Amino acid sequence: MSELAALKQKLEERFVYLNGGIREQGERRLWTEVSYDLFFEVLDFAVRELGFNALCTITGLDEGEYLAFIYHLSQGGIVLNLKTRVVKDKENLRTVTGYFPGAAIYEREVTDLLGVKVEGLPSGVRYPLPDDWPTGQYPLRKDWDPKVLDQKGSA
Amino acid sequence: MDFDKTNDKDMQISIGPQHPALKEPTSFSLALRGEKIEAIQVKIGYNHRGIEKGCESRTYIQDMYLLERICGICSHAHSTAYVQAVETIAGLQVPRRALYLRVLIGELERIHSHLLWLGVAGHEIGFDTLLMYTWRDREAIMDLLAELTGNRVNYGINTIGGVRRDLTKEEGERIVKIIDHLAEQTKYYIQLAQEEVTLIQRLSGVGKLPREDALRLGAVGPTARASSITFDVRKDDPYAAYGELDFKAVSADQADVYGRTIVRLGELMEAYSLIKQVVKNLPDGPIAVRAPRKIPAGEALSRYEAPRGEDVHYVKSNGTENPERVKVRAPTLANTQAIAKMLEDRYLADLPIVVAAIDPCFSCTDRAIEVEGRGLMSWEKLRRYSIDWYRAQGVDFRNVKRVI
Amino acid sequence: MLSALFNILIFPGLFFLSFLGTTAEYIDRKLYARFQNRVGPPWFQPVADLIKLFAKSEVIPEEADPVMFRVVPLVALAATVTAFLYIPIWGTEALYYFKGDLIVIIYLLTLPTFTFFLGGWYSRSLYATIGAIRSVTQLFAYEIPLLLAVLAPALLANTWSLSEMTEYYTVHPWYWLFNLVGFGVALIALLGKLERVPFDSPEAETEIVAGSFTEYSGRFLGWFRWAIDVEAVVGASLLAAVFLPFGLSLWPPLVFGLYLLKILFILCLLTLARTVMARLRIDQMIDFCWRILAPVAFFQLIFDLIIKELIL
Repeated sequence: MSELAALKQKLEERFVYLNGGIREQGERRLWTEVSYDLFFEVLDFAVRELGFNALCTITGLDEGEYLAFIYHLSQGGIVLNLKTRVVKDKENLRTVTGYFPGAAIYEREVTDLLGVKVEGLPSGVRYPLPDDWPTGQYPLRKDWDPKVLDQKGSA
Repeated sequence: MDFDKTNDKDMQISIGPQHPALKEPTSFSLALRGEKIEAIQVKIGYNHRGIEKGCESRTYIQDMYLLERICGICSHAHSTAYVQAVETIAGLQVPRRALYLRVLIGELERIHSHLLWLGVAGHEIGFDTLLMYTWRDREAIMDLLAELTGNRVNYGINTIGGVRRDLTKEEGERIVKIIDHLAEQTKYYIQLAQEEVTLIQRLSGVGKLPREDALRLGAVGPTARASSITFDVRKDDPYAAYGELDFKAVSADQADVYGRTIVRLGELMEAYSLIKQVVKNLPDGPIAVRAPRKIPAGEALSRYEAPRGEDVHYVKSNGTENPERVKVRAPTLANTQAIAKMLEDRYLADLPIVVAAIDPCFSCTDRAIEVEGRGLMSWEKLRRYSIDWYRAQGVDFRNVKRVI
Repeated sequence: MLSALFNILIFPGLFFLSFLGTTAEYIDRKLYARFQNRVGPPWFQPVADLIKLFAKSEVIPEEADPVMFRVVPLVALAATVTAFLYIPIWGTEALYYFKGDLIVIIYLLTLPTFTFFLGGWYSRSLYATIGAIRSVTQLFAYEIPLLLAVLAPALLANTWSLSEMTEYYTVHPWYWLFNLVGFGVALIALLGKLERVPFDSPEAETEIVAGSFTEYSGRFLGWFRWAIDVEAVVGASLLAAVFLPFGLSLWPPLVFGLYLLKILFILCLLTLARTVMARLRIDQMIDFCWRILAPVAFFQLIFDLIIKELIL
């Protein structure tokens, strides 16, 4: 059995609800999705038991009613793409800096660009938008229109 | 120490957004006690151009050209990472010859990037001679890239499903000739790095990043490999033709700026060997397959070992001509996290070289071919014009020989 | 009166010295460029740079002390030019000399560094302040070895006057060979005085922009640049007079030609040093000066004392 299949099996054995929900892509990619209340137990298992010791990045997606986030966890050449979603403007994320201190910048990025709040994120300067960016404008949301920047008093 | 908690005794000084040490806007706010750095705050994002958003309203092929312009140095890295993701989604079988050519351009790019870095590092510690030497050698690679692809930067050689330009036998021979020359030069730089006292004094023990911290903070590329992390995407997650080629991931255990220098010099030597292998073993066949305009729905994550480290692209398609989402994580973003750690208890004088040692990516402009009021000029004519112009200023370039 | 004015303004004063200074800068830049495989500037570039600076308007920061900011660059130039009058160049006799002029020359050559400090300090800019502090810190590091190194030949000649010293070494033509170690020390210290690589941390571009000169522009920067050019020549002349006092009894024009060759040699050594080395941090610089340079200078001093007592 390949390394990838072994990892997949371990995940499925540990979490029943992941059964059938893990997709292999090529030789070194796993894709799966969990609801946010179960997210941290899967993340914890992947980091502590399966040895996914690096976070490539966090991708944020606007899916209409929801905001989806993919945590790309890597273990050498293998990447586990762990997707989860929260209700837009209602639910917050919790920080993963406890596992990956370097994740702070990625969390700031989704905060700025998609407008999700991240609980427990250490204070610091914003990234990547400028300090005078109008509040409430999140450029990576699908319904965002760059024309608002041209109007005066858009904040 | 937290930047906000510094007190009146400290001198607060900003390096950037505009500062001679930085080639790209970034801001470091420092609290200094004497020459010592007490706290540091890094602010980036001055170059945010909304490229990810821009990708969503362009077609896949337009996006490739847009993404290539993320960076003026590792442009091939971004375009390759992107087309790899799209090809995975579309299930395209890229011809082997195209994969080899991607490696060729990728390694040439690594050489010009590392030589550039070596020069910048020299300049940051006041060793301008090194800057002049390495940038002179780098010109040979830039000219070679222009001959092969038509451009010194932003080569535009990739396309979805392969590459756009083939390599002739004569070009292959010329590449080998230039690579041999550069290998000799690089051996000299390696000797220099081992022997020059002031250079070692300024690099050794500076910007310490122990292995655990490098892992914790997510450092990538030569920065991580200098802290004895052997991860190299080309080895661990092979793409293009790297799986078939013979090379080693260079690493060092000094965990400081000196180690990062050694790693980059070692990678230069590996790149020379890789290029020679590619030219020698280049398979026959087509250089591209036809790609559909509309990419079927799906998603893929592609990784690429850029000169500065792991470059990550995520592409999500929705079955139309435009992607649903493109996400880019450039290596510098991962490495910026480690800067504060590297500068703990160091001196102001170490800041430029420590920052330079992660090789922050900066934008370059391509050359222009129009001179005001004189219409379009050919390359030869432009060269002639510049020589005459400088002669009128009292500087004679006529006798300057090209190195190779 | 007229001849004194001629001496001060034309020869060997301001005009001649400025000519030498800009030529020295040209040689330095051209040589540096050739060492680095570049073409380098045309011969008139240093003068053109100065003319350009003097033609430009100057900006004085609002927070800067307006009087000090303006006066300090002129003091730098005046001090270096004055020091030159006491250095013998076409014979064993300087234009003006008295007992103890060696100390005065050293003192006058310290003044430019202090003006760098004052200029930087009164600019009130952060970069300039750090540069100013570094200038003065560096002064304490190289000044002692320089003084000790210059003291050794003076001790051998038993005089504090530079002119009498050269006289002594003309009478005893090979004695200057005893002081070669001191010459090395003084050369390195001179690199510190001129704030050149590897000792250019007071104006390290990549750290503190231009150090003390960050806020300077237009003619005030021009005065400073001028003073630095002149300082290089005066420093080299001092070293030539103290450590290379040979061939001084020849036909005066020949002595003068020899003098030019000597300072050219010293300037080339300085350029070579900045070509092959990286900039040291200020703490490393101080470390080096106190731990290595000063003891070596002391060794030279004791060596000269022993020779004087036991052999000569």
